[in-house]
Amino acid sequence: MLGTAVKIRVERRLELPRRTSAAISGLLILLSFVVASAVFELLGVNSVRTLSTIVSVFLSPTSLLQAVIRGMPIGLAALGLSLAFRMNFWNIGAEGQLYMGMFAATGVVLLHAYYGAIPEQLLFTTMILASFVSGGLYCTLPGYLKAKLGVNEILPTLMLNYVAILFVDFLVYGPWRDPKGFSFPLSITFPDYARMDGFLGNASYLGLTMALVVAAIVYVLMNWTTIGFEMRVVGQNVDAAKYGGINLLRTTLIGSFLAGGLAGVGGLIIVSGLIGRLRPRASPGYGYTAIIVAFLAGLNPWLIVPASIFFGGLLVAGEAIQAALNLPVAAVQVFQAIIFIMIIVAEFFKRYRVTIRR
Amino acid sequence: MWVESPQTLVEMRGIVKRFPGVLANDSASFTLLRGEVHALLGENGAGKTTLMNILYGLYRPDAGQIYVKGRLVQIRSPRDAISLGIGMVHQQFRLIPTHTVAENIIVGSREIGFTLRYDAINEELSKLIKFYGWSIRPDSRVWQLSAGEKQQVELLKALYRKADILILDEPTSVLTPQETTVLFQTLRRMASQGLGVVLISHKLDEVMGVSDRVTVMRRGRTVATKPTKETNPEELAYLMIGRQIGVVEPRKTTLSPHPILETHGLKVLDDKGLLAVKGLSIKLHGGEILGVAGVSGNGQQELMEALVGLRRVEEGKILIGGIDVTNKPPSAFIDAGVAYIPPETLKYTASGMTVAENLILKSYRRSKFSHRFLINWRNVYEEAERLVKTFNIVAPSLKTRAGNLSGGNIQRLVLARELALQDDIKIVIAAYPTKGLDVASTEFIQRKLAETRDRGAGVLLVSEDLEELAMLSDRLIVMYKGGIVGELSRAEFDLETVGLMMTGVKRAEATA
Repeated sequence: MLGTAVKIRVERRLELPRRTSAAISGLLILLSFVVASAVFELLGVNSVRTLSTIVSVFLSPTSLLQAVIRGMPIGLAALGLSLAFRMNFWNIGAEGQLYMGMFAATGVVLLHAYYGAIPEQLLFTTMILASFVSGGLYCTLPGYLKAKLGVNEILPTLMLNYVAILFVDFLVYGPWRDPKGFSFPLSITFPDYARMDGFLGNASYLGLTMALVVAAIVYVLMNWTTIGFEMRVVGQNVDAAKYGGINLLRTTLIGSFLAGGLAGVGGLIIVSGLIGRLRPRASPGYGYTAIIVAFLAGLNPWLIVPASIFFGGLLVAGEAIQAALNLPVAAVQVFQAIIFIMIIVAEFFKRYRVTIRR
Repeated sequence: MWVESPQTLVEMRGIVKRFPGVLANDSASFTLLRGEVHALLGENGAGKTTLMNILYGLYRPDAGQIYVKGRLVQIRSPRDAISLGIGMVHQQFRLIPTHTVAENIIVGSREIGFTLRYDAINEELSKLIKFYGWSIRPDSRVWQLSAGEKQQVELLKALYRKADILILDEPTSVLTPQETTVLFQTLRRMASQGLGVVLISHKLDEVMGVSDRVTVMRRGRTVATKPTKETNPEELAYLMIGRQIGVVEPRKTTLSPHPILETHGLKVLDDKGLLAVKGLSIKLHGGEILGVAGVSGNGQQELMEALVGLRRVEEGKILIGGIDVTNKPPSAFIDAGVAYIPPETLKYTASGMTVAENLILKSYRRSKFSHRFLINWRNVYEEAERLVKTFNIVAPSLKTRAGNLSGGNIQRLVLARELALQDDIKIVIAAYPTKGLDVASTEFIQRKLAETRDRGAGVLLVSEDLEELAMLSDRLIVMYKGGIVGELSRAEFDLETVGLMMTGVKRAEATA
């Protein structure tokens, strides 16, 4: 016991006003900058320069557009995750679903290029549909296992990531390798009309539009439709859902399909907007970053879009730091990790009120 | 006026405990002697568990004194209680399944110091286990144990901490009959060792079988304490239920010519996979309240869940309005006009969602609230506003999370959802609808059920509250061990007879 008794009381909050919630998030992001500075200093790096490099990414139009397009695969995957998480479906497999989306989008391009299937005008639309269905079905499998057999979804979704990544590896090292590509493990380059730059001049514009449209759809779906209502009830209390006459299997399948499908479209953005072809390990963990983004945004679809741009910016910043300051990528990953920890801490403060009394 | 007496372990005087909307303990008094098994008997919601939770430090009383071994004490937490030698075994076990018996027992123990000496601990535990003739081992993992064995671990935990005052809250509710026999032997043995044992129960046969003295509680008050030898089940039932029987409201509408709900030879399993409903056949007509009396755990829960589509029917049939709905999904039952007021309302509430959202949990598919795929929130809120008013649901707003409401208000919310939102309900399955509620809420809910009946619906009212059953039911069946012991018409109601039938005595014998 201390001489002067300091009492720390932790109480559950009954209501959380939006302003308080935003203030807590903002404060802790600020705190993560402080902690990150300390870490950078420990690494012997000038923290002010590092942080200002990170911040400058968001100030210049060119790098901001870069941040947007890098953020969109994350954003679409996170929008899907926001559906899944509100259904209490812990999908850790957005990464694999991104790869399945890349696979389907590239498959459509190859069908067109090699066999002349699908007319040019319909190609991009077909790619969107194919990547959506492919990512969706990939997520429906663990969804089915959960709803029908009660298998926890975390491990299946996580393990299917490796399956998808290796499957794409197999394709680009094997049958899908560009015949004129000097045996590099790369697919052929996509034609212009299969690339997002082909529309509106810059892939970022189309990417952002897609993300905003999807955010609106997700918002309406969750708040205004019966299926969204059903998904939320299932996420809250499975017993209550059964009692309310909700078909658990149907709801889980639809929810997991939509969640995986959106990540699939994220995969399309990677191949069609960022790289322009399929290559191995095309996603550096966007699907995992999407989990952070979904939580940072509090599963709110409108906040997911800016949050994913923020994380896209961090990726761009990582490259800038590497180039300008000769720092390892790990430095930016450390920064990301600190932000994630702060989000978890913020969750605690959002749920509980802490008061200190003397 | 405390008289120093080493024989008296606990004396609780004038204990008052108020919860929002409920007076749980109304100047209750209780004495526990060394070497006795003392039964605390009462209906659900009579305040037995609250009184003992106060003794164990889980609640602070609003008024009253507690003396333990002659000393006036303030019990602020279970930790205080444990250091006074009080141990409690709750209905839900508080054990860590992946840990061993020994590890579970030393969790939270203060004396063990920094390093663990398992040899010494195991030796002491083995001694205790041997003394009580149990078969558990200190190094078994808890998840491998049966319910009865887990209970022994809980008892062992208290004994290891040298408790001499032991409280068991409805200990037999999770046990098989054989395990119950073993438990009762243990309790007798503990008493012979000079411990004081409190047995919370609402089962008369248990109380008669194992206790030395019995204290009866009703609506928060301790109404009598008697040596078990000097009383009998009839007197105890009488004390438990009280003298007054409510005003009888006769049926106003005529019965529907055909039953709206029928079951034929219904067989249903419980969670453990044992047969809980053993070939039950009932007929419910529109315009009547059919009471189902019985001590809980005799298959009522499983019967009700089967009747609303939440539990699989193994054998037999359920007909609604003559149409076979056996093993259809819950939505089919909802569409057929079945309302269900479940025993644990919180279990069927989406507590993180709003009051309005919870109100439409069952009716959101109706054209009033949704068109194709879109929910019409304007209609939802209008309707919710109306319901909150008619059912007196006290909530800061319609957007308040349901989980933040008090128990009584959640009960009203469920009632509103079930009874008012679907204007074409034909059948109401109501389980203990007034359990734990204060007088005003109870009356309100009983009136609503009668109203629904008068509108032509059939009500199946499952309750342990005989007073309530006598007041509301037009007809009464008594369930015991998954079957029907007998049926009584309204004219034949007799609390003593029903009370005896609840213990499995056939009607002819009960009235003889």
